[in-house]
Amino acid sequence: MISQFFVLSQRGDNIVFRDYRGEVQKGSAEIFFRKVKFWKEDGEGDAPPVFNVDGVNYFHVKVAGLLFAATTRANVSPSFVLELLQRIARVIKDYLGVLNEDSLRKNFVLVYELLDEVIDFGYVQTTSTEVLKSYVFNEPLVVDASRMPPLGPAAIFRQGTKRMPGTAITKSVVANEPGGRKREEIFVDVIEKISVTFSSSGYILTSEIDGTIQMKSYLTGNPEIRVALNEDLSIGQGGRSIHDYSSSFGAGTVTLDDCNFHESVRLDSFDIDRTLTMIPPDGEFSVMNYRITQEFKPPFRINTLVEEAGLLKAEVIIKVRAEFPSSVSANTILVQMPLPAYTIRASFELEPGTVGNTTDFKEANKRLEWGLKKARMLSSILSELHCRYRNILKEAGPVSMTFTISMYNASKLQVKYLQIVKKTKTDNPYRWVRYITQANSYVARNVPINGSGVSTSKLNFEVPTMLKFLLLEVKSPYFLFLILRTTTGQKALIMGVKLSSSELLGE
Amino acid sequence: MSGHDSKYFSTTKKGEIPELKEELNSQYKDKRKDAVKKVIAAMTVGKDVSSLFTDVVNCMQTENLELKKLVYLYLINYAKSQPDLAILAVNTFVKDSQDPNPLIRALAVRTMGCIRVDKITEYLCDPLQRCLKDDDPYVRKTAAICVAKLYDINAELVEDRGFLESLKDLISDNNPMVVANAVAALAEIQENSNRPIFEITSHTLSKLLTALNECTEWGQVFILDALSRYKAADAREAENIVERVTPRLQHANCAVVLSAVKMILQQMELITSTDVVRNLCKKMAPPLVTLLSAEPEIQYVALRNINLIVQRRPTILAHEIKVFFCKYNDPIYVKMEKLEIMIKLASDRNIDQVLLEFKEYATEVDVDFVRKAVRAIGRCAIKLDRAAERCISVLLELIKIKVNYVVQEAIIVIKDIFRRYPNTYESIIATLCESLDTLDEPEAKASMIWIIGEYAERIDNADELLESFLESFPEEPAQVQLQLLTATVKLFLKKPTEGPQQMIQVVLNNATVETDNPDLRDRAYIYWRLLSTDPESAKDVVLAEKPVISDDSNQLDPSLLDELLANIATLSSVYHKPPEAFVTRVKTTNQRTEDDEYAEGSEAGYSESSAPVADGAASPSSSSGSVPYAGARQPGPAPTQPAPAAPVPDLLGDLIGLDNSAIVPTDQPATPAGPPLPVLLPESTGQGLQISAQLTRRDDQIFYSLLFENNSQVALDGFMIQFNKNTFGVAAAGPLQVPQLQPGTSARTLLPMVIFQNMSQGPPSSLLQVAVKNNQQPVWYFNDKILLHVFFTEEGRMERASFLETWRSLPDSNEVSKDFPGAVISTVEATLDLLTASNMFFIARRKHANQDVFYFSAKLPQGTPFLIELTTVVGNPGVKCAIKTPNPDMAPIFFESIDTLLRA
Repeated sequence: MISQFFVLSQRGDNIVFRDYRGEVQKGSAEIFFRKVKFWKEDGEGDAPPVFNVDGVNYFHVKVAGLLFAATTRANVSPSFVLELLQRIARVIKDYLGVLNEDSLRKNFVLVYELLDEVIDFGYVQTTSTEVLKSYVFNEPLVVDASRMPPLGPAAIFRQGTKRMPGTAITKSVVANEPGGRKREEIFVDVIEKISVTFSSSGYILTSEIDGTIQMKSYLTGNPEIRVALNEDLSIGQGGRSIHDYSSSFGAGTVTLDDCNFHESVRLDSFDIDRTLTMIPPDGEFSVMNYRITQEFKPPFRINTLVEEAGLLKAEVIIKVRAEFPSSVSANTILVQMPLPAYTIRASFELEPGTVGNTTDFKEANKRLEWGLKKARMLSSILSELHCRYRNILKEAGPVSMTFTISMYNASKLQVKYLQIVKKTKTDNPYRWVRYITQANSYVARNVPINGSGVSTSKLNFEVPTMLKFLLLEVKSPYFLFLILRTTTGQKALIMGVKLSSSELLGE
Repeated sequence: MSGHDSKYFSTTKKGEIPELKEELNSQYKDKRKDAVKKVIAAMTVGKDVSSLFTDVVNCMQTENLELKKLVYLYLINYAKSQPDLAILAVNTFVKDSQDPNPLIRALAVRTMGCIRVDKITEYLCDPLQRCLKDDDPYVRKTAAICVAKLYDINAELVEDRGFLESLKDLISDNNPMVVANAVAALAEIQENSNRPIFEITSHTLSKLLTALNECTEWGQVFILDALSRYKAADAREAENIVERVTPRLQHANCAVVLSAVKMILQQMELITSTDVVRNLCKKMAPPLVTLLSAEPEIQYVALRNINLIVQRRPTILAHEIKVFFCKYNDPIYVKMEKLEIMIKLASDRNIDQVLLEFKEYATEVDVDFVRKAVRAIGRCAIKLDRAAERCISVLLELIKIKVNYVVQEAIIVIKDIFRRYPNTYESIIATLCESLDTLDEPEAKASMIWIIGEYAERIDNADELLESFLESFPEEPAQVQLQLLTATVKLFLKKPTEGPQQMIQVVLNNATVETDNPDLRDRAYIYWRLLSTDPESAKDVVLAEKPVISDDSNQLDPSLLDELLANIATLSSVYHKPPEAFVTRVKTTNQRTEDDEYAEGSEAGYSESSAPVADGAASPSSSSGSVPYAGARQPGPAPTQPAPAAPVPDLLGDLIGLDNSAIVPTDQPATPAGPPLPVLLPESTGQGLQISAQLTRRDDQIFYSLLFENNSQVALDGFMIQFNKNTFGVAAAGPLQVPQLQPGTSARTLLPMVIFQNMSQGPPSSLLQVAVKNNQQPVWYFNDKILLHVFFTEEGRMERASFLETWRSLPDSNEVSKDFPGAVISTVEATLDLLTASNMFFIARRKHANQDVFYFSAKLPQGTPFLIELTTVVGNPGVKCAIKTPNPDMAPIFFESIDTLLRA
């Protein structure tokens, strides 16, 4: 059980504070904030989500820029408390429509009423918005959401397409629309966060999809909902290692490593026809979470080339190739690359005709940032770095990328249909099924500049070995670059005697 | 004004309370509700609105639930401070507990349980009894928790009124929510009771397992955690339980999954069939991995648990190592945990992949993470002998990057690799030696020196390399000094040539004479004796074959691991500490402070946080016994003492403990009134405390005569004193005995002293640095001057002959002289008496022209003699003093001393 619950702003102000058991001293919020803020002396590095100070255990999660925290003196289940904190944040968001400092302060009576029903004497009673509706009487006062920064992956639909109502995501589950009657609608979002690590030679080292099917229902009368997924969906059975992925690529068989479901989901027919049946509770909830490590086609490929271009100069070439249909649009693409600490400045050169790109060299953390409004088939950037020392190339990279692609999902998991089983056919509610793919950890490692692919002894190669080595590398996606290298390398080869061979490898 | 709650915060002008009072008594419902909201708003920002108690309670009788809840909120907050008025609410509570609306019934019981006022508690029992048997499940589940609340206030009452039995009945309730709360309440009561109250029989087990399927996710965790205490009778029962619990692994709530994993792991211990166990392991793997797709906070908890699980059952995740590869955007605390698990799961099969990852991590930005990655490579080398070579080549590549901290970390792990695989990889030593100059961290330096010493015979210039470190020997940290000592001895034994021989002389001299580190000194003496008695056996000892090490750097003690595994899915498994080590939950019945439960303004709350309630109760053992100066403290109840104004450095306590071992006198000399002592800490500096002190000699013993004058406003006690290292090693021989000093009083004391205790190096100095502290003030530091004559002993008396002989035997360079133009010897006799009192003994007197020359002898306790010659014209100012001593460095101090004496 927990002793206290509180919400702090980023500056450490108490927004909400509720003590359930009176066994932890009242300065706990301040002790907590100081500890989190200065976890390491230099102020860098996040505090772990669970820690103990003077016998008091502190838990916290960050939601929408706020710190949701709890304390206890008992040996409780930490995942229980952390999950609870996330859930409280979600309930409050369901009620208030928007979760931020302002909305919390404006609705403090409601928030305290909610907290009293959610937790009694430190024990969780319920976190279901649906159940809470029958015990909570304050009406939410909805703050103007239009000026709020977007929250959550589905937020991209807000400004976006005409088909979607603008307020959908920030609408309170319980508050009535200004017009009086509530609009009947239901949202099903398939959100996939993908992680890919490309090796320095462009192969995929690891890839993973963390997916979730989220539902937010504004339907009255709690009708039953049926969600049908791909019929050939298979789950687990260790199929992944034996799997011949070339077949899974094209045929569209989706294999989940593992999945779990919300407690309202009935799985009676799931094994037969991959249909989920449920009576959705009010509020936002995850119908299903799934995880895929089966090979998939990454939406972007990244190639990087770093080379010395002079005594105190280096060149970085980053190429990003979009590998999804041009009908799909990717938003807010940002490519980042840490540069060596002794980089003084960087200049950028984009392909001619490129529009809407931003380039920046972040002086403070020595980082190259390249923002793309829209992905094209192939975008590339050349950056010239000016450095203080020579020996530069080892501390650059890896290149990482963040993006959001709407109406596209990497796994090919699909909601085949969304059925509302309604007893009375008054009107047809709006049904929205949306797909969003986001980058989680999307990283390309750099070319092995200091010969990591080659063992040290081979660095003493003679000319023929070098040719062999280069030919060997031709197979990789750095093909273009290496050909280029060989053409200039011709020079290097001729002058091979004069140039130290290691210089060619960047040593 | 907009229709926001925040408007309730805005009326802060004067006369607010009367205004609110009026509104609370308004005849309009809406106005009253608004007023209560304003009151609550004031309460949450820490304003005192307790004076409105009666008026708010008057609003309690309403059918409007929203208003009623607000009033109850107020009551929980202020009932404790207004116990007499709280009784006003009792009637309404009792009435509400019989209201037709179940929400009101539950609300009444819930609120009464939160009010810790005896009068309310008395009236709680009957409604609670009824509510436990209520028709409505919402009321029953609220009542179940209320029993736990009541038990916390008054355990006896709960037992007397039979509430425990009613609670146990609720386990069979048909509503899963009620069952879950009853289980939670019983589990808490059991935890705080010594009697068996909540025992899980096979009957309750099956009931709870059935309820499990119907419960909310949170209820499932309550039940699973309670059931984890159940010991199955045999393998079959265990299999049965596991079968019922396994479906929970599919739950979206991570807490449910982890609690189910805990339950399954526990029952697995009983299951004998290897097939079943293998199958279960297979089933647990995907859900455990899925936890790593959750928020980073949950991932962290999952990783700490997985760390324990793979130590017991490595097979579960043996094939899943890829999921533990660090993501670029993982928070650092997740990355660190992933590294640990990668090391645990590394095997010959996956080591290439793992090494590639580690190498990548070793070039990241976060220094701690990079270091850990480098160390991880070393640990893999030690763990997997077939991969050791590959690990080493990766380490060498990293060393070539020449990033300073990477190199140092690599050298540390390579030292361990050498210990694990002796005589295998020494060929790389040359490469390591290239980085010698860049090492600046003690551990890396020590490791490198160890390598040089261990392989001295293979390194041609080992002596040169070591010599380069020797120059800075005195400045090195102890860790490096120890390694240098050992490495030099090894070098000498392996290459007993001239160079090493000279080095060993230097090192042994440094390590015995010039150091005050007892470890270093003792080790040096052992080597010295070994080498001087029998170099052959020295070889046997120093160069003996070392046992091969294994990777145990992160293995937990098996019994601890058992305990932690039993505590999977609790905080214990995150901290990797047994619950006793950090759980400080105590019965707080009597210690509860006045709570305003809705403190929003932190400024009101924080000042009370240092109240010793929690701390005193939390660690009762920490303040007793181990503190050496506990006896010097004034007796008195610790919690009532005012908190010290500033934290007291540990230094004082520790060092005094050391001095206590050398207690010389046992009888405390009476405190005499002597000549005024020089003021060393004026009251302006000492916040009203003035300290005067001087070293004196009485009855052939040295004392520190002190006068404490308390001109501050508070009583001072708990005085302690500490002397810094000084030339003569002057230190206290016992604790300082000063009684509590009331404001305006003073105390004199004689502190017995010893010398040669804690001597400082460097040129002799008369400086004596003193620190004095007490319980109320910060530590005071002041300087005193050591007057050499207090050390002169009775043995200083010499015969004329021996005086002359000593004088002649000392070279002229040992003679130092100084003029004291201001000093006067007015009468010869008085001066002789004065000097004799200071153990400077008169030898002879001769006339030289119009001057008188006096000769005296004196001796320091170590035996250093001082031969003194004073030249003056009696009665006239100007004295010339010349001394001859084997230790002319002391002359300046002596002159200071004689100057003081002659002026006195």
